[in-house]
Amino acid sequence: MGTFTLYMQYIVNGITLGAIYSLIALGYTMVYGILKFINFAHGDVLMVGAFVGLLVYEALAGAAEPGMWTIFCFFIAMVISMAFCAFLGMFIERVAYKPLRNANRLAPLLSAIGVSFILSNGAAWIFGTTSRRFPYPFENEPIHIGGVTITPHQILVIIVSVAMMVLLAFFVNKTRMGKAMRATSLDQPTSMLMGINVNRVISLTFAIGSALAAVGGMLAAFDFRVYPSMGTMTGLKAFVAAVIGGIGNIQGAMIGGVLLGILEAVGAPLLHIPNGMRDTVAFAVLIIILLVKPDGILGKNEREKV
Amino acid sequence: MKKVFAVFLVAMLCIAGAFAGGSSEDDGNTYKIGFIGPLTGDNANYGIRCSNAARLAIDEINEAGGVNGKMLELIAEDSEGTVDKAIASYEKLAYSDNVLAIIGPVFTSPALAVAQRCMEDGIVMISPSATHKDVTNQDRTNPDGKNYVFRTVPSDSLQSEVAAYYFYQVLGYRNLAMLYAMNDYSQGLAMGLEETFTSLGGNIVASETCMVGDKDFRTQLARIKSANPEAVYIPNYTVEDAQILEQGAQLGVGPYLSSDGFSDPMIYQLAGDYTDGVIYVGPAQAEASTILTDFQAAYREAYNGDEADSFATNSYDATYILADSIKRAGEGVDRSTLRDQIEATTDFAGANGIINFAENGDLVASQGVYDVEGTTPVYVGAFQVQNGQIVQVD
Amino acid sequence: MLNFFQLILIYAGVYAIMAIGQNCITGYTGMLSLCHAGFFCVGSYATAIICKVLGFSFWLSLPVAAIISGVIGFLIGVPTLRLKGDYLCIATLGLGEIIRNVATNLNPVGISQIPRVELFGYVFMSRNKWAFIILIWAFVLIFYLLFQRLLHSRIGRAMTAVREDEVAAASNGIDVTKYKIVSFVLGAAVGGIAGCFQTAYTLTVSPASYTFMVSVMVLCTVVLGGMGNGKAVILGAVIIQFISYFPQLTGLTNVIPAQAKQMIFGLILVVMMVWRPQGILGRDKFRYGCEKKRLFGKKKEGAV
Repeated sequence: MGTFTLYMQYIVNGITLGAIYSLIALGYTMVYGILKFINFAHGDVLMVGAFVGLLVYEALAGAAEPGMWTIFCFFIAMVISMAFCAFLGMFIERVAYKPLRNANRLAPLLSAIGVSFILSNGAAWIFGTTSRRFPYPFENEPIHIGGVTITPHQILVIIVSVAMMVLLAFFVNKTRMGKAMRATSLDQPTSMLMGINVNRVISLTFAIGSALAAVGGMLAAFDFRVYPSMGTMTGLKAFVAAVIGGIGNIQGAMIGGVLLGILEAVGAPLLHIPNGMRDTVAFAVLIIILLVKPDGILGKNEREKV
Repeated sequence: MKKVFAVFLVAMLCIAGAFAGGSSEDDGNTYKIGFIGPLTGDNANYGIRCSNAARLAIDEINEAGGVNGKMLELIAEDSEGTVDKAIASYEKLAYSDNVLAIIGPVFTSPALAVAQRCMEDGIVMISPSATHKDVTNQDRTNPDGKNYVFRTVPSDSLQSEVAAYYFYQVLGYRNLAMLYAMNDYSQGLAMGLEETFTSLGGNIVASETCMVGDKDFRTQLARIKSANPEAVYIPNYTVEDAQILEQGAQLGVGPYLSSDGFSDPMIYQLAGDYTDGVIYVGPAQAEASTILTDFQAAYREAYNGDEADSFATNSYDATYILADSIKRAGEGVDRSTLRDQIEATTDFAGANGIINFAENGDLVASQGVYDVEGTTPVYVGAFQVQNGQIVQVD
Repeated sequence: MLNFFQLILIYAGVYAIMAIGQNCITGYTGMLSLCHAGFFCVGSYATAIICKVLGFSFWLSLPVAAIISGVIGFLIGVPTLRLKGDYLCIATLGLGEIIRNVATNLNPVGISQIPRVELFGYVFMSRNKWAFIILIWAFVLIFYLLFQRLLHSRIGRAMTAVREDEVAAASNGIDVTKYKIVSFVLGAAVGGIAGCFQTAYTLTVSPASYTFMVSVMVLCTVVLGGMGNGKAVILGAVIIQFISYFPQLTGLTNVIPAQAKQMIFGLILVVMMVWRPQGILGRDKFRYGCEKKRLFGKKKEGAV
């Protein structure tokens, strides 16, 4: 295997991983854009999404042979899981964050951590801590393109992620509600004066972010397996991706996610250090990006107003 | 605000007092055995299995009438896989509950910390899964200068030595690659294998690392593929192994060799058909004994179809060894007489074969080799290294 | 029971020291840092290496840990402290993960059987918890007094000014970046010292103990007690440790599953935050513009 094909292989793997990070990063970035706080429970919503998706899929598909029906089941499971997580996200927002909207900025952060504890340990209690495998809804025979191997599930991950992001971009940029969302993130009090129902916008933001996390969780489940603490580190990484891209910026989250995925795959071999250090590479790049361009790659360079 | 706080503190203390009264009433009617392991957090899986197995053993013993006319009681405490929580659990078990002996901790670092305290305070500790050599290499700081730390799992060096000889002499591999996680267990096995394997004349052509909890091993596997080894040694835990097998198969890397982490039946659910052809070194099985299969069936029955892995089996054996030793120590058993009886254990017939303890508390056992066909491990035999040759002992 | 209570006091002391450091960063100067686990780790390893590998006394490891943590804090602080609040939080989060990742890759097992602390010939045995309690809480007191002095000094007032309004502080001739760095380095150094005491008690260090959750817990301690309030964060440390070990203290863990224990902890966090977002004791009384805060607090209580 030549060095070039080897690196092509790394990049293909990186993009798959990155697509998942992007989806999850979108949730972080949207919440941050509007409420300016880091929703640490987002990673656990992802885990719930994966569990719900898995349960629904297993109930529907049963032991059916992979084929059109199982692919259909997969998407049904995805829709149900998205809906479930959207409600879960809104519920969490209502109970744990809304009372704290005017408190100091650290209070919702801690509240989020509490929620994260409850969700991950609750799942461990209900489902047990063993990892579960998400069955492929289709034959997963690897495809070889000139020495580079890619599997159908990787292609599915990329396609679904891109589709979700396009939908989201359309929603945010073209619809009335999307406009309200952008306005709220720009200036909350003013948009309230303009007659925007800020509470509704925030609820919707949580719903959309959580639904995307559910998709991310289900796609991640192929490679990651489904287990109660699956969201913790994945969530942290996705958050890093959001920051790299420029937090509060939706396109930024997408680019940041893919970039982080590629970095993780390529970083360690490129620097000739052990692969166990890939997280160090990822976080070191994060710090460097913050130093060079604190607002992230696509971040708006806002000066603080006096 | 002081008022609020005062009320809060008083309330807490009241609840504390109320519960404290309730918890220490049944002294004397039962033999208490403690368990320390990760019951929550990322590695909870391993801790829960071990505690489940110990609980199963205790239920069985109690159903059969207990020991010396008394019941056994298991108190499982959560270490979250960290040293400070493990120490806290130890403090609770040793002083609040006054347990007779402790099973665990499950992971090496907490085991090292707790072993030191057990030695000092003279409490028997049997670890079902801490494989690092230093666990049984503690200063004997108790007044009698005796050893209180035992384990029912082979140390890294014992297992990796047999593995290296088997791969080199029996399977005839000369060029191996390794992909191991940076934790005590995997690294210990990989380093041990590398040392023995290279001293025999073999080569390690690629040595890749990952972190426990990593999901994506394609970078490492692509690198291993380009080094073109005859086989890949993956001494990891089940979840990582399953992902390595699957992603490796997709990239066309293989065949695979593994360790007792592979003896978890979960792997066949997680990795599906990718397990075919894996050869792994694990605990030996006692010939013509149904203890293991009985245990596995009982475990499956008791815990909703969850499968027992080799660490759970070790924990099960540890519990039976404790019960057996308590019985031999008689009615007035205490921590010190229990220790003497555990040390005196000879040829204990456990689920993982015949168990003896070395002078330092290490497990003396031969190692089993398994060859996976499809999704069924086929037992090849028990092996030992004698005078630089691998010998099949049964 | 008493024994376990003593243990909680020991751990609470360690967390109190960490919280004092975090309070200096977050409470005094208003920066959100999430890498106390990293400094804690550096301090623990400093003690482990100095006592076990190099064979020096524990007492030498205290200044060494403080200096190493401080230097790391300085190195990360100089470039990143120019960033606005949240970016600093993320950069420090990255630093904490890097320290743990590097420690794991160097030696995943950690270091065990570290020699015990000795003071004038008295050896601190793990069994004699009162000795540890006195030792650690003596240092808590020392750091409390030191930081209380600091807060009321010129430096402390400058820090407070930076927290309240950076632009106003800068226009009054305060070198904002300098005071941020001073505050960060001091906080880091204290965090390192906390690590020394933890190691002195557990006698084993392992990289698995210094996860992101530790940083979060320290931050919780500060917010729960009351940011910027020296007494409050120490109280916060006691309460947080008390809550998290409460099931074990009372023997409740014999009855409920371990996950339930963690869920209770999460629930208490949420309830505490919703009930009193400003912390149990709230800000220090002399805080600039405290009338505004109090009015606000009243209004909120009335609304709820």
